[in-house]
Amino acid sequence: MSLETLSRRSSTSLSAAIGAIPLILFVGLLIYFGLNAPNFLTVTNLKLVLVQSLPVMLICIGLSAVVMAGGDDVVSGGIDLSIPATTVLCAGIMASLLSAESTGLFVASIVALLAALLVGGMNALLVTRLSMTPLLTTLAMFVAVVGVNNVVTQRKRINVDHDAINAIREPFFFGIPLGLILVALITLIAFHFLHRTKWGLNLQAAGGSRDAASISGLNVNRLFGQSFTVASVMGFVCSYFVLARGAGSSPGVEDNLMVEMVLATFLGAAFSPRRVVTMWGAALGAVLVVAISVGFKSMGVNVFWTGLIKGSLIVVVVATAALSQRLN
Amino acid sequence: MVKAFPGVLALDGASLEIKSGEIHGLVGENGAGKSTIIKVLAGVYQADSGSIEVFGEPLKPITPATVHRAGIRFIHQELHLVPHFSVTESVFMGQEISSPAGLSKGQMRRRAESVLKDKLGRSISGRKLVRDLTTAERKLIQIARALIDDEVRIVVFDEPTAPLASGEVVALMSAIERLKNSGITIVYISHYLDEITDICERVTVFRQGQSVAVFDTVTKATGSDLVTAMIGREIASVYPDSNRNPHGTGLNVKSLGDGKSFQNVSFEVGRGEIFGIAGLIGSGREELVDALYGVNKIRYGTIEKDSKPIKISSPAIAVANGIVLVPRDRRQDGLVLPMNILENISLSVLKQISSYGFLNRKRERQVAEQQTAKIDIRPSNPKTVTRFLSGGNQQKVVLARWLANDANIFILDEPTVGVDVGARVEIYQLIADLAANGASIIVSSSDPAELIGLCDRVATMTRGVLSGVRITETLTVDRLVALTTGATQEPANVT
Amino acid sequence: MNAQVLHKRSFIANVLIRFGFVLVIFALFVFFAAWNPLFLQAENLTNIVEASAILMILALAMTLIIATGGIDLSIGIALDFGAAAAVVAMKSYDMAWPGAVCAGIIAGSVVGIFNAILVVGLRISPFLATLSTFFIGSSVQRIFTNGGGPISHRRMPDEFRQIAQGDTLGIPNEVLVALLLILVYLIVLEWSVWGRQVHAMGMQRSAAIVAGIKTNRNLIIAFIFASATCAVAGLIAAANIRMFTPLSGFSYLLDAIAATFIGAALHPRGRPNVLGTVVAVLFLTMVANGLNLMGINFNTKDALSGIILISALALAVAQRKASEAMLLGSRRR
Repeated sequence: MSLETLSRRSSTSLSAAIGAIPLILFVGLLIYFGLNAPNFLTVTNLKLVLVQSLPVMLICIGLSAVVMAGGDDVVSGGIDLSIPATTVLCAGIMASLLSAESTGLFVASIVALLAALLVGGMNALLVTRLSMTPLLTTLAMFVAVVGVNNVVTQRKRINVDHDAINAIREPFFFGIPLGLILVALITLIAFHFLHRTKWGLNLQAAGGSRDAASISGLNVNRLFGQSFTVASVMGFVCSYFVLARGAGSSPGVEDNLMVEMVLATFLGAAFSPRRVVTMWGAALGAVLVVAISVGFKSMGVNVFWTGLIKGSLIVVVVATAALSQRLN
Repeated sequence: MVKAFPGVLALDGASLEIKSGEIHGLVGENGAGKSTIIKVLAGVYQADSGSIEVFGEPLKPITPATVHRAGIRFIHQELHLVPHFSVTESVFMGQEISSPAGLSKGQMRRRAESVLKDKLGRSISGRKLVRDLTTAERKLIQIARALIDDEVRIVVFDEPTAPLASGEVVALMSAIERLKNSGITIVYISHYLDEITDICERVTVFRQGQSVAVFDTVTKATGSDLVTAMIGREIASVYPDSNRNPHGTGLNVKSLGDGKSFQNVSFEVGRGEIFGIAGLIGSGREELVDALYGVNKIRYGTIEKDSKPIKISSPAIAVANGIVLVPRDRRQDGLVLPMNILENISLSVLKQISSYGFLNRKRERQVAEQQTAKIDIRPSNPKTVTRFLSGGNQQKVVLARWLANDANIFILDEPTVGVDVGARVEIYQLIADLAANGASIIVSSSDPAELIGLCDRVATMTRGVLSGVRITETLTVDRLVALTTGATQEPANVT
Repeated sequence: MNAQVLHKRSFIANVLIRFGFVLVIFALFVFFAAWNPLFLQAENLTNIVEASAILMILALAMTLIIATGGIDLSIGIALDFGAAAAVVAMKSYDMAWPGAVCAGIIAGSVVGIFNAILVVGLRISPFLATLSTFFIGSSVQRIFTNGGGPISHRRMPDEFRQIAQGDTLGIPNEVLVALLLILVYLIVLEWSVWGRQVHAMGMQRSAAIVAGIKTNRNLIIAFIFASATCAVAGLIAAANIRMFTPLSGFSYLLDAIAATFIGAALHPRGRPNVLGTVVAVLFLTMVANGLNLMGINFNTKDALSGIILISALALAVAQRKASEAMLLGSRRR
């Protein structure tokens, strides 16, 4: 074994150790909560964490598809910041249609889905045809879509009391809420498509290396465009959970959703064995981010500190990722 | 059998005939047309005239898809792999096996592993990630990708050993032999003549877009004939006279090393001297050049300029010390492509053309016009965006930038790659003039004729070691090629 | 294909591509004027300019950062910090107004220093780095104000209030400040040696490094300078309403980014540039003002301006792409 390979090995293991810092940090925090906040590790509380993380988890799955197809460079690669806006728009559309007695859930859903597809399609078009940066495009789209939603809802809270939507938060099976089971199912389906099919693998190839993918005969732009559609559909699905959680559509949900989505998805990369954004990582990231928020709350930490904590977490996660990459 | 008679600009009635089941070598200098004919063959470029026949059947039209269907596969020089993909996923990229239930991961993995083991003679777990593999293993993954379906009949290797270390080259050679024995026809392109003479049964030599010679039998001894056929031009006419008078020491490098790519490199460059560094890609030559300019980190050793030790930790410091670089990748590192000629030239002399921090546009224009006139950049309008210039004119802009500055040590990395012959002559003359004015010049090049024609002394670099410094008058192209390619081992008679 | 045909076909296309965006601005201007005659009155046009001051200043800072090749999502935080520090300096520490101004600018610069540490020191991409700064800065404001309540200072020194509310020679002071900063940014980014270096590194970092430019140093200066600029906007905001409203800077972020990109698309070679940004800011403010005068519902207005924003961006980018393609095409022939 040559000296060169040996030194390569040692720097690889050092970089792996540094790459594991975020995971260690999170596990440490959870243990700390468990020890110091007596309620934290109870079944009820953990169930609460899971249920609260459902909406974020769904849009994280959507975002992970875009990041996988576009690459994980935030500025030049794939990102879709407009997903939370799609979610609130769909929720707004459904809420206002449902509150007008004449429309049923089915029709409302169709209208909302069409709106979501329109947003996703526009993103795809602008990014792949005009080669606009996804970051800028979807950020602008976020604002435009939130604006449209404000017209739809007139910035008012709209209550929704529909059995099917209420059922999402009701216990369904051994006290497990229906929503949890649905998200589990959706996650499995998404996992199958994103990680267990030819299409999913091609999507990841497109984001992993544009050159490699096109040399292998893949249509990179089409795959990237499709990922935006997937993201908008996940945004649509998420809207049911937002409606169920808030018993209707209320303004101002989108900001927090966006923050948690970005944080969870990129945090998730630190937990995936390959250190890249994956669907599992994103979903797990969503649970962890919510768990940390709930944990600090049950420790009695003032909510004003959440931004500080989240911001510092991003710094730690991203800085360690950059450092471990440089050492590798 | 493959025949091609394309007539694109870079190719001038070149033809290539390959017998089935052989390993056919393709050699030639940079720009001789090797890569062009391969790109025509791959369907990437369209030939203006000419045709291709595969096993007696004409191939029409020539597109990547039809070429693929005809069973021709290409192993590109670049690796083109996704670092975080597994071996299996990389081998099957774009050709995944799936059933309605999803990807057949197990089947794919077994198939990938068996191709690697049976056809290439290397056991690699299909679960490993590409980024954990050595470069040689990655190359094998790339080859396995071409072999994964049974349709493959011809495999074209473009410089497959460029990134490999010597031990790895041997392993790759045996993998290629194995392929040949399984009945696959192989086209092998390489700068390394020892590889060509080792492995190939027949060789076609390209020069200036034409196929100038075909060797039907290849032995070790063919090496020098190949070199003659490859060069085949009057060297004296291209290069300026070398009646220079080097004196003193401009730059003194003492046992420099970066702990990875090169070790214990020492040399001196006199004032008014053109000093050449020869070496293949992967020999550490590029890393050495980068280190001299502060791009690559130095682990040990010292650099002295005018007998004063200097620490070059960044290009800014190098420039401040009068050391400048004309980089090998001029489109990436040499020019700010979206900027125009004017702005690119003035980048090095912003301080001189400003007053109180304000740019003096008039003076900027004067400096630029002075330079463009002196070295004849076309178009002469300094407002032309450099992205649209030809390779030769782009290179002249990079040179003009440093001429405007008061630099006295010039490091020129591959100064004439992608530069047409006309501009080449002008650039050589410029370099000679610089030296005549007392500048120390280091030329790093993969073109042996260029080094011999241009330089006063040439050092060769092999596998990270600067192995010998020779006066160019004692060198011939054949000998320099032999020294860098390892075709002969001769003791370095340091002068 | 011969060059003649191409040339003829491209004449109209050429006009559209070069001036497409300007035509759109003009069309909207005419449209608003036709809809409501008030739009064209001198008073309203002054209003537009005055209302654009804060966005103008923030967009200038954003233009600088985007010119370096990065992005700054924390400009709003620098504005908030600037406003907060100035108000607190006067209210709690009885500082005179010049002291308050200095305190504000220093507080804003802290944001830039933090960004510089993250981007240059820890090598975090500007997007994620400034996003973190945004989170952390927002949280700090919530903690500091105990949940985000405004800090009002009714008895603010008159001189300080003059920053936003006074006139000099009939020109509102905030407009003067914006004009002054436009001049400063023209000097810094377009006329100075440093600006040339910033443009070079923003376009092609590796080539700038090889040309001997100290890219890290320039990046640090740019972040600090930009955040100090944003703090000036904060001073104006605070003087205007005689209080510090936490988290008020965020609302300008997207417009500032959009203005920079639209402005860049207006540049013949697609560079982020001061004059382009100025035009784009005036355009965005004009649209907001015009929609207001149309008397449409607040929410509809919001949606419309969002849609106009994304259309403007798409148009600007398409225009630049087309002009680049045309340039390439004519070179090839």
